[in-house]
Amino acid sequence: MLSYALRRILGMVPTLLLISVVCFVVIQLQPGSFLDQYLEDPRVTKETVATITRQLGLDQPLWVQYLTWIKGIVLHGDFGYSFANGRPVAELIWERLGWTVFLAVLTLIVSWLIAIPLGIYTALNRYGIGATITNFLGYISLAIPDFLVALLLIALVLSAGGTNVGGLFSPQYIGEPWSWPKVLDLLNHLWIPMIAIGLEGVAGLMRQMRASMLDVINQDYVRTARAKGLAGRAVLWRHAVRNAINPLISLAGLSLPTLISGTIIASIVLNLPTIGPYLYDSLLNKDQYVAMTLLLFSALLLLIGNLLSDLALAWADPRIRFE
Amino acid sequence: MTSRTALLALSLALLSAPALAAKTMGGDLGSLGVVPGKVGGTYTLPLSDSPQTFNYYGAIDNNTYTVLNNVLESLVEYNLATYKLEPGLAESWTTSKDGKVWTFKIRKGVKWHDGVPFSADDVVFSYNNIILNPGVRANQIPNLSFGGEPVKVEKVDASTVRMTLKQAAGAFTQPLRTFILPKHVFEKIDPLKNPADYMKMWGTDKATEVIGTGPFKFAGYVAGQKISLVKNPDYWKVDAKGTRLPYLNRLEYLIIRDPQAQVAQFLAGNLDQVNITGAQFPDLKQKEVAGAPFKVVRSKALFGSPPHIAFNFDAKDPALAKVFRDLRFRQAMQFAVNRQRIIDDVFNTVATLPGHGVAPISEFYVNTRGALGKFDLKAAGQKLDLLGLKDTDRDGIRNLPGGKNLEFDLTYATDSTVYPPIATIFQNDLKSIGVKVNLKGLLVANMLATGQAGNYEAMLYAFGDQPDPQLRREIWQPGQALNYWHMSARGEDGKPVFANMQPWEKRIWDIFDQGATVVDPIKRRALYGEWQALFSKNLPVIMVAKADNLAAVNNRVGNFIYNLGPIPTYNTNTLVYLK
Repeated sequence: MLSYALRRILGMVPTLLLISVVCFVVIQLQPGSFLDQYLEDPRVTKETVATITRQLGLDQPLWVQYLTWIKGIVLHGDFGYSFANGRPVAELIWERLGWTVFLAVLTLIVSWLIAIPLGIYTALNRYGIGATITNFLGYISLAIPDFLVALLLIALVLSAGGTNVGGLFSPQYIGEPWSWPKVLDLLNHLWIPMIAIGLEGVAGLMRQMRASMLDVINQDYVRTARAKGLAGRAVLWRHAVRNAINPLISLAGLSLPTLISGTIIASIVLNLPTIGPYLYDSLLNKDQYVAMTLLLFSALLLLIGNLLSDLALAWADPRIRFE
Repeated sequence: MTSRTALLALSLALLSAPALAAKTMGGDLGSLGVVPGKVGGTYTLPLSDSPQTFNYYGAIDNNTYTVLNNVLESLVEYNLATYKLEPGLAESWTTSKDGKVWTFKIRKGVKWHDGVPFSADDVVFSYNNIILNPGVRANQIPNLSFGGEPVKVEKVDASTVRMTLKQAAGAFTQPLRTFILPKHVFEKIDPLKNPADYMKMWGTDKATEVIGTGPFKFAGYVAGQKISLVKNPDYWKVDAKGTRLPYLNRLEYLIIRDPQAQVAQFLAGNLDQVNITGAQFPDLKQKEVAGAPFKVVRSKALFGSPPHIAFNFDAKDPALAKVFRDLRFRQAMQFAVNRQRIIDDVFNTVATLPGHGVAPISEFYVNTRGALGKFDLKAAGQKLDLLGLKDTDRDGIRNLPGGKNLEFDLTYATDSTVYPPIATIFQNDLKSIGVKVNLKGLLVANMLATGQAGNYEAMLYAFGDQPDPQLRREIWQPGQALNYWHMSARGEDGKPVFANMQPWEKRIWDIFDQGATVVDPIKRRALYGEWQALFSKNLPVIMVAKADNLAAVNNRVGNFIYNLGPIPTYNTNTLVYLK
């Protein structure tokens, strides 16, 4: 298992290099450059633009820019400078990473905890009224975009006289040291993004779980288990669910990159201090090293997510381990 | 005078000595409703995105400017009511007869936030090593160059600075609104030699290192969430009653990108004030009338961007370009702009008829309303008939001389609440007189570049108004970079091409050229008056409407004055207090 993991990790290196080239090319193909805003501004002279170009290293040929960037990453862990902020990219991402990871992981856990039982329930009671209602609600929440849910929730809270409309804290707690009132304030704000961002995931996962459960339930081995007199509970959890969950584990690996790009609009509407809006800004501003690093990071997360889900799959399913 | 009264006078003078440097503020602002306020409290405002940096000359970024406007100060500053420039860090100044040498007396007794006294050295260093440093990203060289050379700044003594211009300048004090930075902080890195090191100073991770002389000091920054400023207890301004300003203990900016989210936070009571648009007006006004604890304040502020419609004199289709250059066509279009409907429907009545390049409340404004005429589609049609643009093939659309339909693209910004409806109203009205308009949407951010590249036929766009027309020269003087509807009047080298200008354009060019060097205010006003008349008659662009400024303000806020935010030295937070 360990050697397998190591092999996979080593295999990531060339993939990432290739991805970094693609990211760089994509960013360069985007029309315009960071300097456009200065070129258009009458307050800025041509000489100043030339100086900025030199300061930012944009006067170098593209391949030199790329190699310098990669060299910085490999040798010094330096992901380059943000043109707009004049600060190292890694530092800027780090500033926003905490809340991003917190929100993403929490949403993931909550949506799994809700979706899996619901999926099993709707599969087992296919024709029941409860399952029909749950399915209907699932379709609706799949169809409504997350930012719309966010807006509706905000309107609801406002009309109920609440003050927790957006952000993660009330203004007086931002930047203050942790305390119980601050935690309570966080919880009071947190449920809105949880619902807005998580709802779509719950609905999707629930449908997946239901489908793969339905596949499994009619399999011969389930019938055999029943026939040999195992308790219904044991059949369900040990035989059916354990097999049905495999596709979902693979799916979980793919959801890691949404950490960065998945919630841009909802983050803007809900005013969440996450990385999404920052990626959006850097793409608009053509702040190339920020955009490239975030794209690269998102690719890395995809690779790691895949590895983790493969390992989890191997742990969950002996047949895969055997192969 | 007896010795006793002399003694009394002396002791009085000694008593008031600490306040010697203090400047009284607010006494003359009664027209804005300013009254002596109460000390204390936290005032919370929205900021529409994270600032890129806290280094004023490190970026061109309105969010950076909005925050630093409370922290840094300049030699001169705006009077909040008249928009005239008043003494700021310069206590007074004199001008030589030829208008080329300006001598500034620097205010004494002012301190930087770290306690170091402010002096003429800071002014000279800021100008020579940072503001006029070509290696600094947001340097001010173009604004401070006259007759092709940057202004020369020298220290005369500890409290006197002399500035020498190669050529007299009419609006020289306007660019002096640029902020002064502390020499003792920046001399260590020597910005002239190491501009790149200068650019790394005062980044967003170093908020608490930032110091100025202004009414508020930095207290902290939580990335992407909040900026906290606290009162500068040693500030040099007092109110009419002698209370030291600012009144507020804390000033906080919450970073909220979405305008709707800002309003939601305001309604929830987390923000004390929010600037709004006409589109948000009816809803908030309704809530106010229903008894919500806030007011919607409507004011005629000077700043703000009135939309216009421009026709590309250099349109790629030569037949179209010829029509656009014809004054009669533009007059027809003037008749076809339904300003009343736009003001009523698009701006929800919160707008007025526009000026021509100058805001109606500016001291430079001359009344050009008559030239706007009335909305009259019949008259518009007749003008087009006279031009020979008739529907020759009977398909309901007029034809150009070559037989092609009179049809053009109107480029407008989609990410706005006002441009799309204005474009649609204009399109529909033109349709009824046989002119076909195709709407072409772009992001606001891409509009100007598209205009300057000439990739459009007609464009609905806006430029901001400023107190002095000289500051808008790049827009309204033909041959300048932002005069985007006639780019062929500008050569490859950036010089004007007079051969391509129409006579009235040449005259406007002359007016701006003269206006830049004439110092006499009466002559300047006459020149810019003539320009507005030429503008309203020859219609380089067709002005649409000027929106009033709207803000929603919590009832606990006193001395609220509308503020766009990023305009240097137009700082209203010094006077705000909480009831």
